[in-house]
Amino acid sequence: MLESNAQRGPYWEQTTPEDERIAHQIEHGREEHLLLDPRPPAELNELALATMKKTGPAFWIAVLGLGSLSLIFALTWVTQIFNGVGITGLNRSVMWGPYIANLIYFIGIGHAGTFISAALRMMRMDFRRPIARAAETITLFGLAMAGLFPIIHVGRVWKLFYMIPIPNQRDLWPNFRSALFWDMSAITTYIIGSTLFMYIALIPDLAMARDHTDGWRRKLYGALSLGWRGTTGQWHKLEVVSNILSFVIIPVMFSVHTGVSWNLSMSVQPGWHSAIFGPFFVVGALYSGVAAVIIVMIFVRKVLKFGYFIRDEHFNAMGIFLFILMIAWVYFYFAEWITNWYGNLPPEVAIQEMLTGPLAPLFYLMLFANIIVPLVLVFKRVRTNLPAMLVICIFIQIGMYLERVIIVAGFLSRNELPFNWVDYVPQLPETIITIGTLATLGLLYLIWTRIVPIIPLWEVYEGQAMQSTRRVGRAVVSTRTDAH
Amino acid sequence: MADLMLLGLFDNVETTADVIDDVRDLGVSDAQLEVLSNIPYPAKFFGLKTPGLMFWPFVFGGAILGALVAYFITFITPDLYPIHVGGQELTPVPPTAIMFFEFISLFSMLGAFIGFLLQNRFPILVREMYDELITDGYIGVQVQIEESVAEQVIGVFEKHHAHKINRELASEFKPQGIRHLFFWGAVAGGGLVVMLVPLLVSYEKIPLPWINKMNQTVVVGYQEGPRLAAPEEAVPFQGPRLIAGQPGTEPLEATESSIARGAALFQLHCAICHGETAQGDGPLSGYYTADHGFPVGVPALAGKGYPGSYIFEVVTNGRVGQTDDGTEFIKMPSLVENVSPGDTWDIINYINSLDAE
Ligand code: HEC
Repeated sequence: MLESNAQRGPYWEQTTPEDERIAHQIEHGREEHLLLDPRPPAELNELALATMKKTGPAFWIAVLGLGSLSLIFALTWVTQIFNGVGITGLNRSVMWGPYIANLIYFIGIGHAGTFISAALRMMRMDFRRPIARAAETITLFGLAMAGLFPIIHVGRVWKLFYMIPIPNQRDLWPNFRSALFWDMSAITTYIIGSTLFMYIALIPDLAMARDHTDGWRRKLYGALSLGWRGTTGQWHKLEVVSNILSFVIIPVMFSVHTGVSWNLSMSVQPGWHSAIFGPFFVVGALYSGVAAVIIVMIFVRKVLKFGYFIRDEHFNAMGIFLFILMIAWVYFYFAEWITNWYGNLPPEVAIQEMLTGPLAPLFYLMLFANIIVPLVLVFKRVRTNLPAMLVICIFIQIGMYLERVIIVAGFLSRNELPFNWVDYVPQLPETIITIGTLATLGLLYLIWTRIVPIIPLWEVYEGQAMQSTRRVGRAVVSTRTDAH
Repeated sequence: MADLMLLGLFDNVETTADVIDDVRDLGVSDAQLEVLSNIPYPAKFFGLKTPGLMFWPFVFGGAILGALVAYFITFITPDLYPIHVGGQELTPVPPTAIMFFEFISLFSMLGAFIGFLLQNRFPILVREMYDELITDGYIGVQVQIEESVAEQVIGVFEKHHAHKINRELASEFKPQGIRHLFFWGAVAGGGLVVMLVPLLVSYEKIPLPWINKMNQTVVVGYQEGPRLAAPEEAVPFQGPRLIAGQPGTEPLEATESSIARGAALFQLHCAICHGETAQGDGPLSGYYTADHGFPVGVPALAGKGYPGSYIFEVVTNGRVGQTDDGTEFIKMPSLVENVSPGDTWDIINYINSLDAE
């Protein structure tokens, strides 16, 4: 049984054993597990490329819809640039509103992408293989959208270069003792690191696309794949550089959302000034991020029809992950809340009274969406049921978005000086801009799926080539080859 | 000199490893061999030595560069422009740690990436032996050999049922050499030029078509500049105000700086009614008509030669009028809350410097 059996013939051609019970089990395994169900790469390449090239009416309608929303967003932004942020509902006390909540939200959903890729890669979790790129793409565009918000928020966009540490005529330098600057450098690091990480893993797939397309696509992929041939040396370097980036990017990922939370907690605003904010935000970000990844997985499976790659096992694994993150998030939220409640400090009491008073509908909806709804994830039937997963994940998006709005705009409306208590009511500009950036994210994502293979094909092939089954007694179990 | 390139395609690892063994037996060295695949098969699968690599100089080099950037931001810039805030030192430890962490991370990742590109000599700018079936899962064995052994190697390929054999002259392939370095040199040059733009903007070598200096915007511009340099001509804020029935006192000398300040203040406080050059044609002047209940019009001020005390009085008290049916209305509001006595004299000096049109 322990004897090594060398296999001749391609890994995707498997012989069915004589024994019917065994054959049945193998058949069952193929249905369940992507990695046990190898098919010729030529066929799968074709499948991936066909989706990339397909631009039917539904695609154009979606592009038109999302595109016009993005255009409205752009026009609203221009209006705001000319008229100043005064046209929003922001005021003296609530000087941070949905723009900053959106920044936190978008960075949050961007979190899971790199986490799934880098951390699960380090831990050799095979279920990441087909979903890694779909997740990384959220990171890329989520961060791009997040990066827009400080710019939208500052109003005088043309003064942006004061943020960059370059000399200028007033001899002013960015003040690195400001939490905003910590955050900016963390986001910059993360977006550059994530892009490099994603690009490196993309090179072999771009080479694949180069080999099997023609016209502009061939030229584009040819240039982007840099002359990749897949020599053992190239692969070896690719693996090593990916490992290095994974190791560096995981702590950076933690620093990004911690940095975001420090923007708030470094102030003495009651409710914000809390040491737990860093980890609390990181967990919240992962929570909403994993939910966002699941939404995208449903999109990839149902709309792009990649049911072969993304199977129930992946939803199951992600569902468990989501459930664990939910528990962690609840724990942090509770710890934060009970400290404030027990402390009984007047400004914090004022905030609690507002949350359970005027803001109660939002507050309870948030708790319902973030805690009650995801409880059903304990059932495997729910985790592998796509409509149910979609509903749960959308609830979590709403819940986590509300959480950020409540923390930013809600908490700011109460503070130590009662004459500064102002309620915030969102106005049209910020509403349009919020919806518009979501649409822009969708648009970029949609276009992206037509330009790059959204499934990391080579990682799937690698997994399939390294995975096999082993017979133990009367059962067939899967075994994973550790090639290193 | 080796002068033929052969590429045989096989569909599994086992056979490929056999082929490599057999080819080696023909006296082909590992340096002449190359295995191409669409999956990261480790070299040991084929009985080859794991190819060498060297990432640490790039990663550490990047880390050092990152540390230097962080040092620049945390030690040098506060020294260049010291701002004392929050009772902190100029370079407090915790934020400094964050800066070092972020920039070391960023630059070591960039270093690793550059290491990846340079060690692979990416981008490859010459044609190389290749077959598109490789990305379809075939494993390619590329051998560079002399003409004389070609037939034998092809024999080996055929014996192992090569899916396809490509054969080309080695002279067809130019070496990549350092072409990629020229490429990255050009990219870096272009990048530097692009990075020059914000620098030029920040020094206003490229002027933006709108106000870019905070200190020159209407709102705060007048607080800067000459006033700091010339305190002796300033009237104290709490200085003599208007005493009822008496002319305003203590005029300011009509120096150039006073007139300049007056001009800015006039734009801010008066131009909306009296017009930018005090011709009585400001944007609001159109409302001073009988239709709107203000049957007065806005007078021009330029070239009228009003005594300073007269202007001072109007600005301080404003003007109240009466309509035909006797209701009072404000013709010109009192601006005493908005402009200090010193500011008012600056404005007066400015008005008196204007000519009628
Ligand atoms: C809200 C519009 C408004 C603003 C702002 C305003 N003025 Fe006037 N001003 C008027 C009107 C209307 C009159 C005419 C009053 C009348 O007919 O009695 C007037 C009259 C005057 C007069 C008297 C002119 C005369 O012919 O007797 C002076 C002097 C004057 N303004 C100076 C100023 C200065 C200096 C400022 C800025 C600090 C200023 N005003 C700001 C509306 C304005």
